[in-house]
Amino acid sequence: MGIRIDPESDETDALFDLVDLDGREVLEIGCADGRLTWRYADRVAHVTAIEPFADSLARARRRLAEAPDDRIELRNVAFEDFAAASDADVFDVTLLSWSLC
Amino acid sequence: MAPEGMVHALEEIHRLLRSAGTLIEIHPALEVPYVEVRSDGRGLFAEEDPGYDYEDDLRHAEAAVATIVDRGVFVLEDRRRFELRTHAASVSELRRYWDVYNAYDPEEKDEGLARRQDEMYARSGEVLERSPGAEIVYVEPAMMSRLVPAR
Repeated sequence: MGIRIDPESDETDALFDLVDLDGREVLEIGCADGRLTWRYADRVAHVTAIEPFADSLARARRRLAEAPDDRIELRNVAFEDFAAASDADVFDVTLLSWSLC
Repeated sequence: MAPEGMVHALEEIHRLLRSAGTLIEIHPALEVPYVEVRSDGRGLFAEEDPGYDYEDDLRHAEAAVATIVDRGVFVLEDRRRFELRTHAASVSELRRYWDVYNAYDPEEKDEGLARRQDEMYARSGEVLERSPGAEIVYVEPAMMSRLVPAR
């Protein structure tokens, strides 16, 4: 059967209830293996999904290689480094995804 | 992450967001996650995870969000509590998943907590073995917040 995460869609229901992602420029901080990313990516204009741990991001990259999606950009970078190299006022939505603590 | 590091990260997020932007912050709720064994919608087993050891981190995260609201950086507009459920066919499948998922965490779990967690998984496994078609579910209560830039 394999692992199934949130088949009830409780997390995505809460997300779509709280924010309109349609056509938005999104930054996801701490995307891990992209578990959440793929559940909303079809709504957004573009998502930059960052993850500092290479092993986690490698799983997301394998998934993206299997099903390419121009809207998803994966970056192996810590948030502080990403922020230091980024301009201000560029994202419509930031998802801080299970990564503040 | 240290509490001041969390506050700084939230301030940096504010800088990257457009003025009409939105921050969605997701973290575990201040509740103990639990393990269930379920079959055909019926609960056969439910126990809290004795390995839960990150309450201080969650309190720091809550405090960091409160701090950036108090400082007038963000306005907290709304929150939702939800439960993230991870379903597996066996205890070993679930634990392998967590081992991979948590591989980045360098902290060793306290020996006593790890032993009690092993015992809990052994009990859940016994129930699972007696119940063909049942599945094991790890339930994480969580909080999702919508914050918008205050200025």
